Order: sequence, then C-alpha cells, then structure tokens
Amino acid sequence: MDNYVYRKFKNNLFFVLCFLCVIIAIIPLLSIIFEVVVRGAPQLSLQFLTQPPSEGGIGPAIQGTLILIGLTSLIGIPVGIMSGVYLAEYGNNKFATWMRTFNDLLTEFPSIVVGITVFTVVVLSIGSFSAIAGALALSIMLIPIVARTTEESLKLIPNTLREASLALGVHKWRTTVSVILPAAKSGLITGTLLAVARIAGETAPLIMTILGNQHFFLGFTQPMDALPLRIWRSALQPSAAVQAQGWGGALVLVLIVLSLNIGVRLASQGRLRR
Amino acid sequence: MRMLKLNSNNNAEEMLMENSVVTDGKMQSIDLNAWFGAKHVLKNINLSVKANSVTAIIGPSGCGKSTLIRCFNRMHELVPNAKMTGKILLDGRDIYANDVDPVLIRRRVGMVFQKPNPFPTMSIYDNVAAGLKLTGMKKGKNLDEIVKRSLEQATLWDEIKDDLKKSGTSISGGQQQRLCIARAIALQPEVILMDEPCSALDPIATAKIEELIVSLKRDYTVVIVTHNMQQAARVSDFTAFLYLGELVEYGDTNGIFENPRNELTEKYITGEFG
Amino acid sequence: MKRLIDSGLEQVSSMLIRMGELAQEAVSLSVISYIENSKNHIQVKDISANVSSMVDPIEDTIFEIMVRFQPVASDLRILKSYIKICYDLERFGRYSFDIVQIYEKLGGIKEPAFKHILEEMSENTIKMVKASIQALKCYDVEQARNLTGREEKVDKLYSKYLDTLISSKITKLSTISSLLVVRYLERIADHASYIGESIIYLSTGERSKLR
Repeated sequence: MDNYVYRKFKNNLFFVLCFLCVIIAIIPLLSIIFEVVVRGAPQLSLQFLTQPPSEGGIGPAIQGTLILIGLTSLIGIPVGIMSGVYLAEYGNNKFATWMRTFNDLLTEFPSIVVGITVFTVVVLSIGSFSAIAGALALSIMLIPIVARTTEESLKLIPNTLREASLALGVHKWRTTVSVILPAAKSGLITGTLLAVARIAGETAPLIMTILGNQHFFLGFTQPMDALPLRIWRSALQPSAAVQAQGWGGALVLVLIVLSLNIGVRLASQGRLRR
Repeated sequence: MRMLKLNSNNNAEEMLMENSVVTDGKMQSIDLNAWFGAKHVLKNINLSVKANSVTAIIGPSGCGKSTLIRCFNRMHELVPNAKMTGKILLDGRDIYANDVDPVLIRRRVGMVFQKPNPFPTMSIYDNVAAGLKLTGMKKGKNLDEIVKRSLEQATLWDEIKDDLKKSGTSISGGQQQRLCIARAIALQPEVILMDEPCSALDPIATAKIEELIVSLKRDYTVVIVTHNMQQAARVSDFTAFLYLGELVEYGDTNGIFENPRNELTEKYITGEFG
Repeated sequence: MKRLIDSGLEQVSSMLIRMGELAQEAVSLSVISYIENSKNHIQVKDISANVSSMVDPIEDTIFEIMVRFQPVASDLRILKSYIKICYDLERFGRYSFDIVQIYEKLGGIKEPAFKHILEEMSENTIKMVKASIQALKCYDVEQARNLTGREEKVDKLYSKYLDTLISSKITKLSTISSLLVVRYLERIADHASYIGESIIYLSTGERSKLR
C-alpha cells in the first residue's frame, strides 16, 4: 500500500517537472511576442508601411525583404530541390554520401561567415554592396536546407511507386519528374516554405552584402534595405523615435514569418482533409 | 515428359532438350544465376515459358521466385548489389545483350506487383494512360479507346466507367489491382509478369483476378509467382517448383499436381513443409 | 508433423480395411457353402448387407476430405483409388450374396469333374481376394503385381469349365446354374485385380492393367 502511494507520487512529480519545463520554455517566446506587439503595434500605419525613413516609414525595408525573399527563392529553390532529388534518387554511392555530409555541415554554418565570404567574392568584385550579393548569401544558406527536406520528402515515397513506373518502361528521369515529385508535392512545398521563412529573418549575412539604404529599390547591383537590417540599425540609434520604428519593423517581420508558417500549416491541413 | 533433375548436368543445351514440355518458349532462361551481394539466390535456372499460356512459379518463401521474374524484365539489376549471369531470351534474343536497352524490354515485358500501386496523384484514366504518356508512345493513338479497351480487358470497365476522373487510389484494393493490370496491358506487352498479385486481396477480389488471368492468356503470355498452391492449380497450364534457388521440377500443371516426379515437390505440395 | 488431412485419410483407410475384411469373409463363406454344402448362407447374407451399408459413409467421408483439404499428388491418388476400391469391395459382397442365393434355390454341384475345376477356381479366387486386401492394408505394390498371374489362371479355368460343360451335354438345372456361380467367381477375381491396379496407381502414379 505504501509502495503504491510512493510510486504514484513519483509519477505525478515527473509529470509536474516536465510541465514546468514546458512553461519555462514557452515564457520567453510569449514575452517576446508580447513585447513586440505592445511596442510595435502603435507604429503601424499605412504611412509607416509605405513611406521611406525620410518620411518616418520603413517602406524600403519591407520592399527589400520581399525582393530578397523573391530573389533567394528564385536562385535557391530550384538548386536545392534538384540537389535533394539527386541525393534521394541517384544517391546510393560514396560521392553522394560525402555530399550529404557536406550538406549537413552547410546547414549549420555560421551565417556571418557566409556573409563575409560573399562580401569578399561578390561585393568587392562588383565594387558595391548589392541586392544580388544579399540574395546569393541567403541562397547559400537556403540551398542545403531545401536539399535536406527534399531528400527526406522523396525518401518517404514508397519504392513500390518507383517500381511501378519503371516496370512500365518509363525512363528514370521521367519517373522522378512525373510520378515521384508530384507524389511528394505537399512535403516539398511545406519543407521549402518553412526553409524560406527561416531565411527571411537572417541578419548577419545582410550586413556585409546589402548594406542598407534609405531609398527604395535602386537596382540589383545597388545597396538595398531589409527588415532585419533596419531593425538592428534602429535599435542602435540613440533616438527613441527611431527605436520605436525598429519595434514596428520587428512586428512586421514577425508577422511575415508567422504568416508564412501558418499559411503552410493551413495549406497542408487543407490537402489532408481532401 | 521428363523433369529437370536437381544437381544434374549444367549443360544448358542438354537440359533444354530434356525439357520437352516446352521447346520453343516465348521467354527462356539459360543458366541463370543471380546474387544479392554475396548471397547466391538463383542457381542455374533453365526454364522455358510457353507463349500464350499461364506459367506458375511456386515454392516456399525466400526460394527466389520474385528474383526470378524480376530478372525476366530487368528489374533485378535496379537493386544495389544485385548481380546476375546467364542469358534470358525473349523470342530467341538475349535481353541482356550489350546493345539492348532495358527500358525497351520493360515495355515488352510488363509487371504487376504484390501490393496494388496505382499512381496516387493521377486519376483512373491517367493511370491507365500513364504508360503511353510517360514513354512517349501516345503519338498518333486514340487514348480514350486504348484506356477503354484496357479497362475492359481487365474486367474493370463496367465498374468504373463513370468515375474515370476519380483518383486512382479512391477505389477498393481489388479494383486497384485490376487498374494496375489495365495499366500494364495498355502498353500491349507480350509477356505479363505477376508477383503474387492476389496476396493482399480478399477472396472475392482474388477470384475475379484469377478469372482475369485465365482470360489474358489468349493475347499475352503470363507468368505468375504465387505461394498459394491451389491458385497455381486453378489458373496455370505449367508449374515450376523452386526450392532454395534451384528449379526442382517443371511440367504441366495437371501432371505436377497429380503425380510429381520429384519427392521434394511431392512433399511441398502436400504440405509436409513450406 | 501430422497434417490436417492425415486424420481424415486414416479414418477412411480404417473404414475401408474393415470393409475389405468383411468382404473377404463373405466371399470365403459363400464359396465354401456352395462347394461343401455347409449351411452358412444366412451369415453370408448378413455380412453382405453390412458391406453394402459401408459404401455411403466411406464415399461421403472421401468427398468431405476433398472439399475441405483440396488434396493433391499422393493424397489425391489415394482418395481416387479408395473410391474405386470401395466399389470393388461392394461387388465382392454382392457376388457373395448372389452365389449363396443360387445355392439356396438349386443346391450345390455334385458332378466330380465340374466340382474339381470349381474347387481350383475358388481356391485361386479366394487367394486373390485375400492378397488384394493384404495389399490394401500395406500399400504393397509387389503383392498387387502378383495378382496378374493368378488372374490369368482364373480366366483359363473359367474357359475350361465352359468347355467341359458344353462337351458334357448334362442338362441338370444345378449344373447349368453353376455357370452363373463360375461367372461370379471370375468377376470376383477381376475386381480383385482392379484393386491391385488401384494400389499400384496410388503408390506410383502408374496406370497399369493387370489383365
């Protein structure tokens, strides 16, 4: 009888400890969101979102972030997906094993190092900080992640499907493109969008590549502004008004990332229900 | 009728002469040996499959039945570490010759698998047409007509003629398997290989497919691997008994099931082991 | 390890052997009563009725085994043979009954010439019946093949009896009716050889003719 009470107590104790840890883990996240919303919300206005800093807005930064996301996706997604396809469908050899290892290394790579490298290679040779350099840096970070998620998604497709197509006398490339990739579509889209959402918030590589700008988009080879950069710069200014702008920008960035995440989740649920 | 003896001479020509059951087969294996890495799974198989007949391959699990038919349509070589020696003749010509494209062989020798595997992202219509569309063979052909004819031959047309746009996976297991058979015959192969096509199905679906198999032999040559001896007795004209990678006995089905020549065959089909 | 079908096969086998023993007894007794005038015709009739009554249960059991177990190869040959043997044994019983009926109505045979051939024929026939039942019990292929020799002998004796009867010109009823008895003996011998053929088929798959 005693033993039972003791064991029940241990059980409950364990449960309570785990629960407390979860609370501790969530508290910082909740407090961040709280702070961002409380301090940033008052800044939001149409003027704030569309006007340049000279008029008290962060329009160029938002535009810059969106352009960066677009360019990075354009460069990074196709390369990432094709790499993932290679690793999953043709990757049964030593070379692929090495590639996989390098790929995993790259996903963990310090972003500032990527930024410095792109600075040295691209910015110095073009002669100016530029949007291209920024997109390249972000792509270098995006590709390994997309390759990884693509490979995982494709590996989830049962081999019987590949066999079914090959047994019909369909070439391997056609099998991959017309049968396997469509079957893995939802996994691919989810993985890719989540990777893009993650990259959208990177700051370090942007410091050394796009520099930042007070003006709207001037050209691919010109410096450009982006939200993470603007937030960082605003935070370092002594003026309280400018700091407040930073909070506004932070809220916008959080909203962009959150909407990508939630959008992906809703989309995949919708597909599941069907 | 003389049977092929265990451990007898390895001279292919002599063995083929002894095998007077089938002298000019649609497909023939000559001294076929196959390995998975170091494991020797098929040993000196000399087998001749008669055109427009149903040949069953029976034997206990792991005796090499599936490996054998996968050699017939060059699917065995797709597995890493797979090796094989010997010849396999289709209409008298070796399908493993250097100038032969495996993809073309697979269009002449179709395969249906154990678990029904229709393409999940395609409709029923597209599934049946997939073989033609993905192999570039659809030029100049009336796809509607071919799809209808294939589904009719697979005895599925009446059941789903109003639902051609539905997803290939939205029908029952037995119907899916018949869909896979329709998909295979849309290409009008000369030989159809079936790897335990009914083992994942209920008895009624199984009966339908068995009737279908018997009707197919009018236009095609069928080779079916089955672990169900009664099924082999019901549908096949010739039966081959494989044990531990060796062809123990091969002959017409009535002979094998009434009076097998080899004691091992007798023991297996009366259920003393296996 | 015993298979499911084995207990069914054993059951049919023991029923068939029992039937065989009874049939053998019926044949012996009927022949003895005709030749030696002993009065066991009622006993023979009882045994014969018994033998007939065993046909249906044996056939039913055999078909039940076929439906349930879908036998192949040696199992299938055994069951095919059992059906035939069951019929042959029933014939043994029936002919014994018929022999005894003739004896009841017209008495035994008295002329020494005929009696001699009859005795020889019946001795061979009874030996054949015993041999066939023995072969059945042990699936003895050798014994089954030996039935050929005896069957030829019985056929020769049958012809000899016919010739003797025709040339003797005796017209007594009992003598003429002995023709029927001799005919039955010859038929019993035939059925014994059929049983032998079934034993050979069951063991080796060979379809042979022992006649």
